Amino acid sequence: MGDYVEALGLVFQWHVLLVIGGGTLLGLIMGALPGLTAAMAIALLLPLTFGMPPVMGMGMLLGTLCGAIAGGSVSATLLNIPGTPSSVATTLDAFPMARRGEAGRALGICIVSSFIGGIFSAVVLSLLAPPIADFALRFGPAEYFALSVFGLVIIASVSSKSLIKGLVAGLIGLLIATVGTDPVAGVQRYTFHNLSLLTGVNLLPALIGLFAVSQVLKDVVDYFGPERTEHSKNKMDHASPRWLETLSYWKVLASSSVIGTVVGAIPGAGGSIGSFLSYDQAKKMSKTPEKFGTGHPEGIVASESSNNALVGGALIPMLTLGIPGEAATAVLMGGLMIQGISPGPTLFTDNGSIIYGIFIAFFVANIFMLLIQWFGIQIFVKVLQVPRKLLMALILMFCVIGVYAVDADIFNVYLMLGFGVLGYFLNRYDFGTAPVILGLILGPIAESNIRRALMLSSGDWSVLVTRPISLVFLLVSAAFLFFTLWQNRRQTTSHS
Amino acid sequence: MKRLLSVFGAATMLASSMAMAADYPSKNIEFIVPWSAGGGADNVVRALQPSLEKALGATIVVRNLSGGGGAVGFSRAVASKPDGYTVTIPTNATFTLEGLGNVAFTRDDFDYIARVLVEPYVLAVRKNDAWQDLDSLSSDLKSSDKPLRIGASGVGSSTHIVSLMLGEALGLNIEVIPFDSGSAAVSAAMGGHIDGVVLNPSEVISAINGDRLTSIVTTGEERSSALPDTPTMEESGHDFELSQWRGIAAPKGLDPAIEAKWVEAVKQAVEDPQFQKAARSMGSDISPLYGDELDQFVERTSKPLIEEAKAIRQ
Repeated sequence: MGDYVEALGLVFQWHVLLVIGGGTLLGLIMGALPGLTAAMAIALLLPLTFGMPPVMGMGMLLGTLCGAIAGGSVSATLLNIPGTPSSVATTLDAFPMARRGEAGRALGICIVSSFIGGIFSAVVLSLLAPPIADFALRFGPAEYFALSVFGLVIIASVSSKSLIKGLVAGLIGLLIATVGTDPVAGVQRYTFHNLSLLTGVNLLPALIGLFAVSQVLKDVVDYFGPERTEHSKNKMDHASPRWLETLSYWKVLASSSVIGTVVGAIPGAGGSIGSFLSYDQAKKMSKTPEKFGTGHPEGIVASESSNNALVGGALIPMLTLGIPGEAATAVLMGGLMIQGISPGPTLFTDNGSIIYGIFIAFFVANIFMLLIQWFGIQIFVKVLQVPRKLLMALILMFCVIGVYAVDADIFNVYLMLGFGVLGYFLNRYDFGTAPVILGLILGPIAESNIRRALMLSSGDWSVLVTRPISLVFLLVSAAFLFFTLWQNRRQTTSHS
Repeated sequence: MKRLLSVFGAATMLASSMAMAADYPSKNIEFIVPWSAGGGADNVVRALQPSLEKALGATIVVRNLSGGGGAVGFSRAVASKPDGYTVTIPTNATFTLEGLGNVAFTRDDFDYIARVLVEPYVLAVRKNDAWQDLDSLSSDLKSSDKPLRIGASGVGSSTHIVSLMLGEALGLNIEVIPFDSGSAAVSAAMGGHIDGVVLNPSEVISAINGDRLTSIVTTGEERSSALPDTPTMEESGHDFELSQWRGIAAPKGLDPAIEAKWVEAVKQAVEDPQFQKAARSMGSDISPLYGDELDQFVERTSKPLIEEAKAIRQ
């Protein structure tokens, strides 16, 4: 208790609060720009924290992380550009809603959902971190494989128009995921002696290409088509947080926040698929699953509450075990270690006030995220008042800059443009681009882990069904697959 | 006339290179980090940056050219002009990349300016009463005839190669499972999915302090300051010494006068208390080495790594 009081004193000083707010604002801006990831935003601010006390420095970086994830949903909603991989699921419903002219409503739902997801994960982080970390440790290669199979089943659910076409798109993603150095044997596959392909196709150029560039291409084609519109449709007066509407989906909020936090805590797998899992859950539980993908508020609530809950979840293994789950928390952990604090169980006993200070700073960062977006929402929607032809050019420029900034590698820019063309045709013929991303993310996890699992079991496949977590995931995947097929069949027969 | 021109040209080039050394540095220096921001190497460069800038009197621009596990950044560094305005951070990955045959450069394409930090490799195993130290570990493994399943931080990484070399040196049946990162391997060892890891101390220190992994042996010349109670291989009676290191290198052909300026700058930078604090918390030991001693170190370290990496490839 004394630690908590001391920690409150560490956080509630005006300069600490100012720095957390500043970090959140910068994170929001960077997250909203395509190609600039949360990890990059944190790495940029990292040197500034060297001279700060630990809680102040970590508070700023946590603000940046929360802001970047939330900012990703702004560009996902308004422009169909997921600023970060975890906002891909947001584009599925938020963008169609914005296209209908309800950008303010979509953003309003995003803001409230993000805030609730973030606060939920902060509560879990401060109360239940150790047991959740122990659960996450039970994930070995077999469990990761089963989890990624579970994730792949979602392809069936996010392919809105045709199941077969969605599966084809998913397979395209899996196929592209085979490029690069074999993760276990070290053999090069389809790299054509290109150094940039040694570690495989970089996810970010693929993401930006498939979503942003393909959207620009589509807009350009439409612009020169018969229904030429100079400006996007938009009802400006409704741009404010939608508390009541969002809270009316409390079931979706609750389940998505839980999924986000727990999946986020599983190192390596969580980051990008948590929001897809929640989206899929929400669709299965919904009374109106057919509305998903057309601008349905439940879809936005699911994805947004989950991707902000992921942040608190990802902090759990980092702080309690010293295991960063993905790039952003890895940079965060680097920042902590440079402060002379090594994360892990000892952090709770040796530096109690610091860890509680970090928890409180995380709460504060989520509150700043809400406030900044609350005031910012009016400015965000103004983006849509920019004439279409200028907006398209601007988006393309930001895409090129952002993707080049990832590795300072021009090859990634070509890759992005190639994926843009691919994405344009996939969308035009109703294959969809979300399944490709799922295949790209999950393919390497599935492949490398099944091979590790088999190495550990000396080639015995039964390890996949004798381990309880793995068995549960595989059974649930099978059940979901049949459920989706059945739902799909029912829909097609009722249509005809 | 042509010859005259070329002599004249050579003379002006020589003169300009001398002038360059004299007023070096006269513009920004690009520091290529072949990994993404926030990684171990990146942290080192960013911690060194302020004091190097002060000592050199120039701005250092850190460029993260990740991709290909360092292949892209190192290749770009090698292809730059050796004018002292492009430097990079060599590590054991510089050698394993060559051994794996994925890159066009070799270790001889660099002029090594300084070694700044060293970190040994540490063999750490999951908590198990029968595995208290090297003796109990090897006698238990020999009696049970089971392989020791060791997680490394990536296929063909130096931790992968050192794991194999440790198995040979200790006469143990070590089976290497490559993971995607050091932290993924640590997590698998903590969960009991594998028996242990071979990584650098900074990656396992939390798990060891948290009493989930036991450190068995380190591979450095001296004990690691991060793990002062863990004996080295030499102390345990095995002739084996190999450390991860991080330093500064330029493309081959660096003017000795510019190199001397860099060495001076590094000497000042490693004295900076802020950098020393950062190095300590990253679990690394400051162990600067320059000139001939450094070249001997590179020779001694690179040879076994390259050979063993070539063997993995086949």
